[in-house]
Amino acid sequence: MSQAKNNQVTFTIDGKPVSAPPDRTILDIAAENGIEIPTMCHSERVSRTTSCFVCIVRDAKSGKWMPSCSASVMDGMEIESSSPAVLEMRRTALELLLSEHTGDCEGPCTLACPAGADVEGYVRAGRHGEHRKALEIIKERIPLPLSIGRVCPRFCEKDCRRHVLDREAVAINDFKRFAADLHYDDYMEELPPLSGERVAIVGAGPAGLATAYFLRRDAGMSVDIYERLPEAGGMLRYGIPEYRLPKEVLDRELAHFKRMGGIRILCNHELGRDVQMAELKERYSAVIVAVGSWRSSGMRTEGEELARGGIEWLQELAAGGWQGDNPGETVVVGGGNTAMDCVRSAIRLTESPVHCLYRRTEKEMPAEQIEIDEAREEGAQFRFLTQPISLRRSGNRLVLECREMELGEPDASGRRRPVPIEGSEFEVTADTVIAAIGQKTVAPEELPTNKWGDVAVSEDDCRADENVFGTGDCTTGPATVVEAVAGARRVAASVEAYVRGEDRSLPPQVNVSRGHWQSLSPDDLTLLSQPAERPRTRQRLIPLDQRTSTFGEVSHTFSAEELAEEGARCLECGCTAQRDCSLRELARSHRADPELYRGAKGESGYDASHPHIILDNGKCIKCGLCVKLCGEVINENLLGFKNRGFETRIGTAFDRPLPHSCTECGECVEACPVGALDWKQKTLEQAGG
Amino acid sequence: MEQTAAVERSDLIKTLQKEQETEGYISDEAIERIATEFDVPPVEVEGVVSFYTQFKRIPPGKYHIMVCDGTACHIIGAPLILTWLADALGIRDGETDENGLFSMESVACLGCCSLAPVISINGKVYGKLDRKKLLKTIREYKKAEDSNGRSNQTQSKSTAENTGAAE
Amino acid sequence: MVTRIKVGTASCGIAAGAGEVLQLLRKTAEQHGTLSDVPIVEVGCIGHCYAEPLVEVETDSGRYFYEKVEPKQDQLRRILNLEEQGRFRPNEARAQKERTSIMALAGRIEPTSLEEYRGHGGYEALAAAHEMAPEKLVEEVKESRLRGRGGGGFPTGLKWRFLAGKESDNKVLICNADEGDPGAFMDRTLMESLPHLVLEGMLIGAKATGARRLFIYCRAEYPRAVKNLNTAIEQIRAAELNVIDGHAVDIRVKEGAGAFVCGEETGLIHSLEGRRGTPRYRPPYPTDYGFHGAPTAINNVETFANIPQIVRYGASAFTKTGTENSTGTKLFALAGDLQYSGLVEVPMGLSIGEVVFDIGGAERGGVKAVQIGGPSGGCIPAEHFDTPIDYDSLSSLGAIMGSGGLIVIGTNRCMVETARYFLEFTTRESCGKCTFCRVGTKRMLETLERITGGEGSAADIERLGDLGTKIKQGSLCGLGQTAPNPVLSTLRYFNDEYQSHVEEGFCPALECKALVDIFIDPDQCNGCKLCIKACPVNCISEDFVVDNAVCTRCNSCIEVCRQNAISRVAKGGAVRVAS
Repeated sequence: MSQAKNNQVTFTIDGKPVSAPPDRTILDIAAENGIEIPTMCHSERVSRTTSCFVCIVRDAKSGKWMPSCSASVMDGMEIESSSPAVLEMRRTALELLLSEHTGDCEGPCTLACPAGADVEGYVRAGRHGEHRKALEIIKERIPLPLSIGRVCPRFCEKDCRRHVLDREAVAINDFKRFAADLHYDDYMEELPPLSGERVAIVGAGPAGLATAYFLRRDAGMSVDIYERLPEAGGMLRYGIPEYRLPKEVLDRELAHFKRMGGIRILCNHELGRDVQMAELKERYSAVIVAVGSWRSSGMRTEGEELARGGIEWLQELAAGGWQGDNPGETVVVGGGNTAMDCVRSAIRLTESPVHCLYRRTEKEMPAEQIEIDEAREEGAQFRFLTQPISLRRSGNRLVLECREMELGEPDASGRRRPVPIEGSEFEVTADTVIAAIGQKTVAPEELPTNKWGDVAVSEDDCRADENVFGTGDCTTGPATVVEAVAGARRVAASVEAYVRGEDRSLPPQVNVSRGHWQSLSPDDLTLLSQPAERPRTRQRLIPLDQRTSTFGEVSHTFSAEELAEEGARCLECGCTAQRDCSLRELARSHRADPELYRGAKGESGYDASHPHIILDNGKCIKCGLCVKLCGEVINENLLGFKNRGFETRIGTAFDRPLPHSCTECGECVEACPVGALDWKQKTLEQAGG
Repeated sequence: MEQTAAVERSDLIKTLQKEQETEGYISDEAIERIATEFDVPPVEVEGVVSFYTQFKRIPPGKYHIMVCDGTACHIIGAPLILTWLADALGIRDGETDENGLFSMESVACLGCCSLAPVISINGKVYGKLDRKKLLKTIREYKKAEDSNGRSNQTQSKSTAENTGAAE
Repeated sequence: MVTRIKVGTASCGIAAGAGEVLQLLRKTAEQHGTLSDVPIVEVGCIGHCYAEPLVEVETDSGRYFYEKVEPKQDQLRRILNLEEQGRFRPNEARAQKERTSIMALAGRIEPTSLEEYRGHGGYEALAAAHEMAPEKLVEEVKESRLRGRGGGGFPTGLKWRFLAGKESDNKVLICNADEGDPGAFMDRTLMESLPHLVLEGMLIGAKATGARRLFIYCRAEYPRAVKNLNTAIEQIRAAELNVIDGHAVDIRVKEGAGAFVCGEETGLIHSLEGRRGTPRYRPPYPTDYGFHGAPTAINNVETFANIPQIVRYGASAFTKTGTENSTGTKLFALAGDLQYSGLVEVPMGLSIGEVVFDIGGAERGGVKAVQIGGPSGGCIPAEHFDTPIDYDSLSSLGAIMGSGGLIVIGTNRCMVETARYFLEFTTRESCGKCTFCRVGTKRMLETLERITGGEGSAADIERLGDLGTKIKQGSLCGLGQTAPNPVLSTLRYFNDEYQSHVEEGFCPALECKALVDIFIDPDQCNGCKLCIKACPVNCISEDFVVDNAVCTRCNSCIEVCRQNAISRVAKGGAVRVAS
């Protein structure tokens, strides 16, 4: 081998010619030449382990693969540190590490939230009395916390791990409501100056409002919202009843949008009548259609025109300030939230019986269980497995002919299809019949639609046509407010990328999860401390007689004490290192898939006995930095490798607890590239965003 | 003195092997004691013990059965032997029965491949086993154990010392 | 006249019952009167392990072997009287093709008789070495083109030259006797039968390289070998044979403790140092930084065993055996589906077929493949059996020479299961340090378990190839770098078996439990109920129907049935038969 002069060797890294002394590592020389090769198990302070192989590179000359942290430079090498083949090897190393990793980067609550809010973060803030901080965290993703804090179906709670201990979730949404009730009016987020770009939105319902919010806050764009109805709010005002969401609260919520500056809401402006699509497309950089799904589906029976549409009936009631004529004995046909809204609103307007007919059973009803339960408490009479056949007038009453049903085979939605029972017809008489069996979108005629009549938008960027985008119910069919908010964030990012011609988006965040709570037992969880043993705090409600005669808000916001007590039930599932984890970071930038090599997990025991430090074997990548630091640098030798092969793990002698004095040192904790050794205390600085 | 310490450390495994031979396993107390003797952190000794399959951390049975799972034995039927033994003794690979009489483990090649399948009981090798021969061998051990607890075939608790009848 | 009686008591002999034979033979000879003074000694293995227990009777007119001797007094008496019929002879073909060179004295002399070893020329090579300058000695080994017999095939002379060139009083020479490949027993045989041969090679190595400390790192599972080596070492010290250039070279045996990865050079060194036996990255190579930092060279047992003859008869004589790039002989441990299992020594260059059929007596047409090189090696299908056995020819087929384990795989064995078996071994033996080996082999194993369990998919087969290649590239040491070999070679040559498992849920060899049922043919059954009695899980009903949900596929019923009425059939259909 030729040795260059002055005992230097010459070689190339990513095509760049370099010379260096022969005993330096490829990693170091690369770094000195501005090429950062990622590593996880490498540290200048201790002897090398050569374990993770994330730093792997290839010498094109010899074809050899080598760990750059340990391989010395040699004459004539042609090192590739980020060719496609090298990146693939690196990604595979990360995917293998992810596959043996047991943990939850984010708690399941955060992952379940359609809007991606840092749920665990705001629950923790609320628990510790940091309410402004909680609102800040919430508003990062949810611009309508006053409303959503009242009407959300609580996707987060369905996945809450607390179920593993006592079969009931933490009352998460009540934390949102508390923080919003307390601080919404006095909290102003940081806003960039207006950029001068202008965007039009059609529809001031939750989808349109949230889109406006994100465009203003994240991109500095000015937004004009065109709303056909006399006031803004969409479903929040004209669909959801007063007793669930007082309109005074909604007005407070909307006031903030005006305070932000840059958002204008023009009511009584209907698309097609007061303003045309063509001019919007012309005058604005982009147009976002968020018109919702407002047309009630008919019963598709004879006499269907005699029934009121659910959403139209509610809209009328709303326009009248939630005061209306006595509807008399009322029959509501349907099983969704709109049906419950109609049932419970009718109960408040009449002393006569109010019935709800649904063609399947209670189990299959799409409405939230809490709505069904509260409706029942208020006196609603449910009749299941009942299908209307025809409707006719008889004097000044209506006669609804119905047939009994039974459940047969499942249909496309997975629910069992109702099958008529021949000869089981019967009649129900009422003064008012309301059909709340679904809504359809009335799409602007210029736009393409899908087979259900919704506005058709591309999945990548929510675009319908040229510079026209779509979001919310009008693209998905009727859904929830929080889903509208989630969609709004996506379309806002797409609009920004479209208008500015650049894509700021990062690769999707990587998440490792222990799995759904239904498949877990308490031993499967890493508990930092003993969680409070108490049942779930219930919402306090107004007395029943008020519920059946007024539209007063049914539920109360939690008190601060209730919040603290309920917050102590949270198991804090998200990993302490979630924002400070090399594995997660590298996995994201390399687009590694944690599920690709799904299989057995490594050793998963943990030790939470130390007051400040958590040792969680399930997250360990066997890099050995902790062992070496405690041994070679600190000279305490508290940690060591045990077992062999896939069962390798780190621990103290006989798994005794770490001494309290470790708090003052913390070297192993700081060195750990993942959350296997970490500080237990989750600071509030960690939370948010 | 660096040299002496280094030479002594290289006797660690031999010391652990002696402990394994005399006691049949390595206890926590033994690890502490040996760690002190060698001036090595206990967690490191524990790490060495847990790395090598020869060292056990729980006491074995009076008769420890090693079932060879080398290539030849495996092809000819070592997994069946484990099954037959599991049925006869009620224990699985790596376990000791409740009387502390028999323990069983599957081991890497014993080096007697022409006699596959092979097991060794307390170091005595039995080859060319079929189910009948295997169960007969076990019965003989059980019988010898029943008669006053003394066994014709008892070897010391020492590991695979193939003494043969000559010694 | 009987001059001496030898009983083979290497491990294979003992396992076959040689211990009892020896004891009874001594008793019988004592009673005999005229033979009570005849020495009855224990010797090592002659390599015909299938014939153990072997007894050799030396007379002044010749030597006679008797095979499969039982501890029955009348047979032993007849043997002593030279009246016993049926003397053992190795088969013709083996006698022709074998080249007993390092194994020449195995089973001939008492393993721990220094005098007998010397009587047959032992330690003459060492004496000759003393007369040579170290550089000349190294040169001789280089000229012999001897390559490491542990599997790596690295030129021994070159390795010794590196070590010889280091300036140090602390140089170390290690004999790697951690023979961990399942199915390999070449080194065990050499150490049990000819400990002095190995030690002589090491002492010559000490002279050539200047090493002052010699270690033999031997598996704990070889107690007989350890014992014989220790005895031989004591004899060497007593005879001062270990005094080299004025220094008493320190020789000691250290036992492994059950970790295959300690056969890896740096893993071995760490284990020798009293630590966990995890390898480290190389360079620096052991010759630069080895045992406690001292310059160290590591050679295999068989490599050392070849040294004395090279020094005694010269390098050019050595190169006359074998091929151009693979000189000398190689020991193979033959096992599997063949008649004459045991240890054979063949010249390099002999074809696989000659070893398998001529020497091993395997049935022509009954062999599907051979596995060479153990868990690091590959499977070579029958159509390549004319390939000569040498380092380079084998590696071009995707296999490796390995340490010498050679398993003959019959046509009724499943290649997918074979691959799974080897991968299970390497996964269990992985030290766990590096990502690709620790996690990758585990994932490959899980994939193979799905396939043999009848739940594999085409994507699984693709994953095996992809992940296998990556593990080879991204592993820290030879264990990980070679663990995928059995899988990759079977994928290459027996892809159809994989496809069959995945696409049809059919194991062509009817071996994979999940894909096989046990079927009792009512037409052949005579109702004797032997099967019902034999079944360990009571899954055969009184009317001779097997409950395959409970059945463990142990074959007990098949073994006892005298009517051949019971067979393994493809799951879900009795019609398909093993191909």
